[in-house]
Amino acid sequence: MVFTSHIFLFYFLPFVLLFYYLLPKGRNLFLLVVSYIFYGWEEPWFVLLMFLATLVNFICGLFISRPGATHTERHIALVSSIIASLSLLGFFKYFVFMQNNLNSLLSLFGQEAFPVFLVSLPIGISFYTFQSLSYTIDLYRGDARPVSSFTDFACYVALFPQLIAGPIVRYSTIADQLIQREHRIDAFSSGVVLFILGFSKKILLANPMGEIADPVFAAQSPTTLDAWFGVVAYAFQIYFDFSAYSDMAIGLGRMFGFEFLQNFNAPYLADSMTDFWRRWHISLSTFLRDYLYIPLGGNRKGNLRTYFNLAIVMLLGGLWHGASWVFVVWGAYHGIWLAFERWRGKESIYHSLPHCLRILLTFIVVLISWVLFRSTDLLQAGLYLKSMAGMNGSSGGSVLLSAELYNPAHLLPFMASMILSFQPVQAFELAKSLSWWKLVLVSTLFVISVLSLIVQTFNPFLYYQF
Amino acid sequence: MKNRMTRYPSACFLLAFFFISCTGKPDSGEDPEVTSRGSIEVTAELQEIPGEFIDRSDYDYAFVMKYKVLEVHRGQLADSEYIYVGHYNPQKPRDAVSDARVDDVGGRLKKFNSGDIHRMALEMPIDDHFMGGIVNRYFDEYSGPVYWAVWTNPVSR
Amino acid sequence: MQKDRVTHFTLILFFLALIFVDAASLFTMQLLQNQTPTIFDVVTQPPSQQNLRRFENDLEDSSWLVQQLRPFVQSVRFSMLNDLGKKAVRGLDGWLFYDLDVRYLTERIDKSDAAEEEVVHSILSFRRRLSERGIQLLLVPAPGKPTIYPEELTRRATGMKAPINPWTRKIISRLESEGIQCIDLFTLFTSQKNDPQASLNPTYLIQDTHWSTHGMILAASSVASRLIDLGWTSRGTTDYIQKSISMSRLGDVLKMSKVPGIESVFKPEIVKAAQILHAADRKPYADDPASDILVLGDSFLRIYERDEPGSAGFVSHLACCLKKPLASIINDGGASTLVRQELYRKPDLLKGKKVVIWEFVERDLRFGTEGWQDIPLPEDPAKL
Repeated sequence: MVFTSHIFLFYFLPFVLLFYYLLPKGRNLFLLVVSYIFYGWEEPWFVLLMFLATLVNFICGLFISRPGATHTERHIALVSSIIASLSLLGFFKYFVFMQNNLNSLLSLFGQEAFPVFLVSLPIGISFYTFQSLSYTIDLYRGDARPVSSFTDFACYVALFPQLIAGPIVRYSTIADQLIQREHRIDAFSSGVVLFILGFSKKILLANPMGEIADPVFAAQSPTTLDAWFGVVAYAFQIYFDFSAYSDMAIGLGRMFGFEFLQNFNAPYLADSMTDFWRRWHISLSTFLRDYLYIPLGGNRKGNLRTYFNLAIVMLLGGLWHGASWVFVVWGAYHGIWLAFERWRGKESIYHSLPHCLRILLTFIVVLISWVLFRSTDLLQAGLYLKSMAGMNGSSGGSVLLSAELYNPAHLLPFMASMILSFQPVQAFELAKSLSWWKLVLVSTLFVISVLSLIVQTFNPFLYYQF
Repeated sequence: MKNRMTRYPSACFLLAFFFISCTGKPDSGEDPEVTSRGSIEVTAELQEIPGEFIDRSDYDYAFVMKYKVLEVHRGQLADSEYIYVGHYNPQKPRDAVSDARVDDVGGRLKKFNSGDIHRMALEMPIDDHFMGGIVNRYFDEYSGPVYWAVWTNPVSR
Repeated sequence: MQKDRVTHFTLILFFLALIFVDAASLFTMQLLQNQTPTIFDVVTQPPSQQNLRRFENDLEDSSWLVQQLRPFVQSVRFSMLNDLGKKAVRGLDGWLFYDLDVRYLTERIDKSDAAEEEVVHSILSFRRRLSERGIQLLLVPAPGKPTIYPEELTRRATGMKAPINPWTRKIISRLESEGIQCIDLFTLFTSQKNDPQASLNPTYLIQDTHWSTHGMILAASSVASRLIDLGWTSRGTTDYIQKSISMSRLGDVLKMSKVPGIESVFKPEIVKAAQILHAADRKPYADDPASDILVLGDSFLRIYERDEPGSAGFVSHLACCLKKPLASIINDGGASTLVRQELYRKPDLLKGKKVVIWEFVERDLRFGTEGWQDIPLPEDPAKL
């Protein structure tokens, strides 16, 4: 189910809120059931898969935390949890990719290709696998207390606000809240503010930006201007889409008494790539830092190893986003930038330039990475980059793109996106207090967004595919 | 009992919700329109909706669905057990389906769900009554006559 | 503190009221109309992916709130943003284009081999089946409007030659290399546009996806000449006369936009059509199922023929050129597959045929309804 769909906004959410607050007890069980409904709405059978992943990690958790368990037993339980979770992720997310690559390799040597066994990708699998893994790892490290109830644990894994596209919530963040949480009126209203701001970002900014980016990325050979316009629009789309989802998730969490951590902090104001990754998808970058970079040795094993660790973490981070070479190259691109800036003492190559120019140059570096992220394959990415560089002469029908792109319904949200992307005030901050002017602002935004939703058909969340 | 009811307000709410909504009366689907329109009148169970309807609001078409015949009220069918019926713009409620091009179709049915029972006034063959796109996904497996749904009412048991 | 609580409560109440209003209004209205509320469909149907999607669409379609507000929102978007919705692309000087026509030209066709094979195989197979019965096939791919009038879509295209989709070119040349006869309306319409004498009379309607009467008559004449040149048919002896009719027509692109009151902003086009009448009795042209020529096609054949004023479209004008009545199957939006399925259901229509003319719009090569299936011909009535 999509947060900005008619059924979620007008049926699922009101009914879940109503019954949640009517229930005197068993609220976690209720949240678990509705989260399974929410998740199973796209493909009912995938619920079983999530349940299986939850059960395996819960049992592993029991072994890890069993009183009197030896170090070896705890280690085996942890390794089992990691193997089970990553096998699940590997099979559903990467099996087809591996088969395709194997076939390409075979054809290179003149061998006959195997028939490809197709596997559908369960939505949100990358998120819930990481979340359930964080439980067993934290337990093993002694950073979290074992959960006493399977329902509570399953509720944590499946919790619908952040289930499909994050933010990645670690077990330790909400362990206490699962047992005991406060339902305060100010927290609820702050959740409403965040939800509305996220909802408005998605409907009023991200979706129109997608209407610009999609035809340009689908074009045969866009002109240089169109190519830049398209990739900037995509940069706004992915930011407002993903940060909107995070805002809505955090807002919904607050409505049910949960507090999740901030996931975005004005990423396009970053003045270096290192700074960018402190501001973009914070829950993923901290997850990768704590569960991959530091275990790999972090920066404790010398400079060369640090650069290698940064590169490998970003490479795997890229692969986490999707089973495609474009994501691998995207991850490597970011990894190389981060390693390079680390080599320069966490400073960008353009560090000596004025702050606004550093922001602009970082944005351009990020734009190039978005070309990789958005393209269907490396060939398309290469052609698109050539178009941006004016080296891929626009031909045929692509000239006609301008009729689709440059109209008030696109230019107005484009300008608004640009202004909002390059200012520091974030929805997360705005929602901390409520005044009358904010009340009027968010109410107006909500009405406009709901009205816009009625005529919109274009409504996917980009991060659903991950 | 009273205590229990106040302790479980959501249960009471749910019960009330279901009770209010289950007040529909049995309906044979009969009305003056279905009994007078078309040359054939049947009550049939919708066996299958073959795939998604065409997702193009600018395209007017008929969509063929498979029915199991339960009762023939008027006229004669070519096949007595299963019939294939084309419905005009099936994504629309029947009372809102007629337009400038096809002005003689209608009914009380709001939406098509497989397993539902419909009372229909039909014509045959469809091509004599509808000159537009006919999406027939049974084309490969069935070559018999396709009926044209003139009037479609829901039947509730 | 008290003031804070009031603000919090106000916001929460407003939010809850807005998210509850839709379900509450639909539920109440359906109960008042003695209908089972749509919401209960979720428990009466098995929870398959298909049923859940349909349930979701049903809820939205039956929403009273959505139905009431959608026209209002469309009007506001049109008046504030000039937005005609997703189906329409605004060109210059009042020209309107259909989104699918534009997308067909602008979009890259990825990994098109399978799709290309499907189209080519389907057409070749149809030709083979026809020739087994001694029937010739003539293809008439109708160009999309932006292919012929790109400069009316955007100033950037001023002076550019017809931006024919390379995929269209590739498929047509593959078919021609297989010996299939195709009418090249791309060149005909483009040269017509570039002719200073004729350029004041566009070959397409300004607010519509279809050809103008002028373009349609050009196409019909071109097809008639080719048939005669190929020797596939000869002119008949039926005399027709033409009756001039002037009518106003609101383009289909505007109708697709569904913006309320759009006709008050865009004045309908004045279209001058020539209705074909039998010279003998002055009755409008009518098909003859026994003709030796069968015409298959989509709404390009429907316009003026079955729409207003009637008997003034492609089929009538082709009949007039050939001086004999024709048989036709017109299947709106279904020229890729549905029209041949309809032919399959009408075996008698193939009786005595020597030529089948198959018109389809260019964009259908990619977006044709139900794709390009291989459809058999009906049993030969002579063999039954």
